Amino acid sequence: MSDQLQQVINKQNNALVGDENKIDDVVQLVGFIVGEEEFAIPILSIQEIIKPISCTRVPQTPTYILGVFNLRGSVIPLIDLRARFDLKTQKHTEETRFIVMKSGDDVAGFVIDRLTEAIRMPKRDIGPAPETVSEAETMIDGVGKQSDRIVTILKVHKLLERNF
Amino acid sequence: MDEFEEILQDFLVESFELIEQLDQDLVELETRPDDLDLLNRIFRVAHTIKGASSFLNFDTLTHLTHHMENILNLARHGDIVIDAGVMDVILESIDLMKALLARIRDTRSDDGLDVSACVVRLDAAVNGDEVPAVVAAPTPEPVAAAPIDEGEEDYSGMSDAEVEAEIERLITIKNAEAAAKRAGNVSAAGAAEDEEEPDYSGMSDAEVEAEIERLITIKNAEAAAKRASGATPATPTPEPVSTPAPAVVTPSAPEPSTQVAPVAKPAAAPAAPRKVEPKEDADAKGATVEQTIRVDVKRLDHLMNLIGELVLGKNRLIKINDDVEERYEGEAFLEELNQVVSIVSLVTTDLQIAVMKTRMLPIGKVFNKFPRMIRDLSRELNKKIELDISGEDTELDKSIVEEIGDPLVHIIRNSCDHGIEVGDVRIAAGKTEGGTIQLKAYHEGNHIVIQIIDDGKGLDTDMLKLKALEKGLITDKEADTMSDKEAYGLIFRPGFSTAAQVTSVSGRGVGMDVVKTNIEKLNGMIDIDSELGKGTSMKLKIPLTLAIIQALLVGVQEEYYAIPLASVLETVRISKDEIYTVENRSVMRLRDEVLSLVHIGDIFEVERVFDNSEHAYVVVLGLAESKIGLIVDTLIGQEEIVIKSLGEYLKGIEGIAGATIRGDGGVTLIVDVAALMQMAKSVKSTVGTESGEGKKLGAKNSASDYCVMIVDDSKTDRTIMRKALESSGITLIEAVDGIEAMNILKQGDHFFDAMLIDIEMPRMDGYTLAAEIKKYNKYKNLPLIAVTSRSGKADRMRGVESGMVEYITKPYSFDYLLNVVKRNIKFNEGL
Repeated sequence: MSDQLQQVINKQNNALVGDENKIDDVVQLVGFIVGEEEFAIPILSIQEIIKPISCTRVPQTPTYILGVFNLRGSVIPLIDLRARFDLKTQKHTEETRFIVMKSGDDVAGFVIDRLTEAIRMPKRDIGPAPETVSEAETMIDGVGKQSDRIVTILKVHKLLERNF
Repeated sequence: MDEFEEILQDFLVESFELIEQLDQDLVELETRPDDLDLLNRIFRVAHTIKGASSFLNFDTLTHLTHHMENILNLARHGDIVIDAGVMDVILESIDLMKALLARIRDTRSDDGLDVSACVVRLDAAVNGDEVPAVVAAPTPEPVAAAPIDEGEEDYSGMSDAEVEAEIERLITIKNAEAAAKRAGNVSAAGAAEDEEEPDYSGMSDAEVEAEIERLITIKNAEAAAKRASGATPATPTPEPVSTPAPAVVTPSAPEPSTQVAPVAKPAAAPAAPRKVEPKEDADAKGATVEQTIRVDVKRLDHLMNLIGELVLGKNRLIKINDDVEERYEGEAFLEELNQVVSIVSLVTTDLQIAVMKTRMLPIGKVFNKFPRMIRDLSRELNKKIELDISGEDTELDKSIVEEIGDPLVHIIRNSCDHGIEVGDVRIAAGKTEGGTIQLKAYHEGNHIVIQIIDDGKGLDTDMLKLKALEKGLITDKEADTMSDKEAYGLIFRPGFSTAAQVTSVSGRGVGMDVVKTNIEKLNGMIDIDSELGKGTSMKLKIPLTLAIIQALLVGVQEEYYAIPLASVLETVRISKDEIYTVENRSVMRLRDEVLSLVHIGDIFEVERVFDNSEHAYVVVLGLAESKIGLIVDTLIGQEEIVIKSLGEYLKGIEGIAGATIRGDGGVTLIVDVAALMQMAKSVKSTVGTESGEGKKLGAKNSASDYCVMIVDDSKTDRTIMRKALESSGITLIEAVDGIEAMNILKQGDHFFDAMLIDIEMPRMDGYTLAAEIKKYNKYKNLPLIAVTSRSGKADRMRGVESGMVEYITKPYSFDYLLNVVKRNIKFNEGL
């Protein structure tokens, strides 16, 4: 009995150690859908995900900036990713979410169509961004391949960069 | 060593604060040389710094402050008169002291700065009045033996206090030495002393002992003599607190003592401290003026954010309280709820103000350094200039206080150098010989205004243009069309200078550029006014960030904006006929002046739907001399708001000064009135042309272009209504209750021509829904038809009140319903 127990414990320990070894080459992402495509951003760049709340339009801004909203006392800009990606905008649905992303001191909320899942992806499965887009301009960090689909990984700092 | 570091930090912070005050006091002293309070205060500063620096083993600093203390003590006793010459020396020594402190801050050591020259001058100033014969004597390194001989005679003439002081100095130095040894710093200290007093090593321990012994003897003898004469109280060790520190010091006296110190055996020390220490304590207490705690600004910011959330909570609580009050009118618990809500709101508001105040500093902190600067400048430039400061108590946020100093220095330097003329010229121009510069600070609405006014020669626009042309900053054409104000603005161009030659004070063409950049960074404004020969006035207007401001909330369509109340002169309600068009601009007559008008919707690109109201509200905005009328759809009311920034991503949007969070948790943008006035100049007015636009939305080509919403919680009722209307081909949308109906409306997928509303529904009933819908301007004309089984007169009245146009009671015939709907949507009329 005690031998068996010991074995089990050892096995668990090994598994844990194995995990730690692996953790370096695994990135944790959160996947979401905008339009037809699935995108993902690193989980650590997400401050929070909230259901849609009302926002206030800000004049003299590009159309993809929906305005500002109140997140527990902070005024945060809201950006429609559909419009940002030049897709046709649509009304909010039950599944629409705001992802509040941060990079350094910059914070903004992004409207996405729906969340998919948290993804653990080995680094080796992530390929570079397609070469057709210029390195400096692209918002794409890389392309993650999974068994049945691919996700586009976005550069959060690029999304949060003011470009008007 | 950590402890030492901590003490050192405290010392530095304290010292810099003391010095700040010192500059101000000294200049004041020059005008009021016999103000004993002032003198005592200045003396205490020198004394405090001396005491602390000797403890921390900064010998150079101790040496310097000690000599300053001497001269100040003399002045305190009226033995010398502080004239400009003496003041120069004192100020020089203070500058040196600052340099030393800065050095200590940066390198943790006061090595490398030579104070001997300054010390010599300090002593000379002392002796200049007292012992003119020995002016040349105080060389930094007298021979060790000589002073003692020379000094013999003087000591007999020393007062108690003087002897006391002498001993104190010895002790202080010894203590310092001991402290140094304890701190393991001997080498550093030794190095410093080696540099300055290379001779002391020649003295033996015995000699030191003898010196102290002798001083004590003399003092005792002196005391005995005084006792005999009955002139002083009979205490063996008199310690007059009012004269606590070194007094008359002959040129020879300080030298032997400082030389003695480093080699003095710690054993010699215990004899003296007994007498000296109590006095030190008394002095230290005297120097503590303010009761303060230092707090990290980050903590204050955090506190501020928390308060912000609390205020938001409070606002929502008030809103809920209002709703509850309406619903449960007359219930007993309301009273109690009311009390709690009002207490919470009161305390929250107070708390908010209190926290904001903790971040506020008086602008006097910045102003303090200017008297000294003006004094130095006036001597340097050989002009008589007086500085008149007012409003130094005006408070503003710490971050601004820190930023505003540099620009002010540049402006004042400029006024001194270019503005104020030389005495002769002034007299020739019929002015007083001395020029005056006024420095004023005051609040103006949500701004603080700092005004710098000189009565100098003023700005010469022709000359400014000429210079700018010379330097190639503007073209001939620009120069011709330039207004006076624009010409004044030239002085802010980089590289522009009117000075004929570059002086040490100004003329490089950098200063005013710095002013402009810094003020712009603070979102401030600069306004120059000048009259040739009379003077120049420069007005810096800086917003108070983090301030609670009073704002007027206005509405345009479904949007709300907050206008700082400080800029609102009045609000008027006019009829549309009163708006005239002059050269494509809308104007109105306001009493006896013509006011140009702009619609807030044009400024902020608000999509405006046809609005056929007869009247318009005009908010008259005033800023400086300009006025403008801002047309809004509705006036909501006055509210206290907290300015929040829009963040890095959205900063710098024209016309928007920030945002605030309202009681319902929504965000409202704050109008930047100055920017709005600028924008108004270029915006094409649509005030008179809006009536044509409404038609487009109503264009109908077929029956299915008409759209009616059916709101009813009963599936059966919805089906009945659908059956009744289906035949006509009208598009029908269904909603199960008020909430869903609102959501469908807000989504805007359909443009509804009418709504059929049941009264009794869960979540949101028909009356509430109607009232909600009518809050939106674009639905003002949307026909709402009540379909209900309630047939009482009171129900009908309520229906009308909430904005329903028709009231159909169940049961009804299909035809009747269809006819009512058709009539209301003007079915087929447009086809």
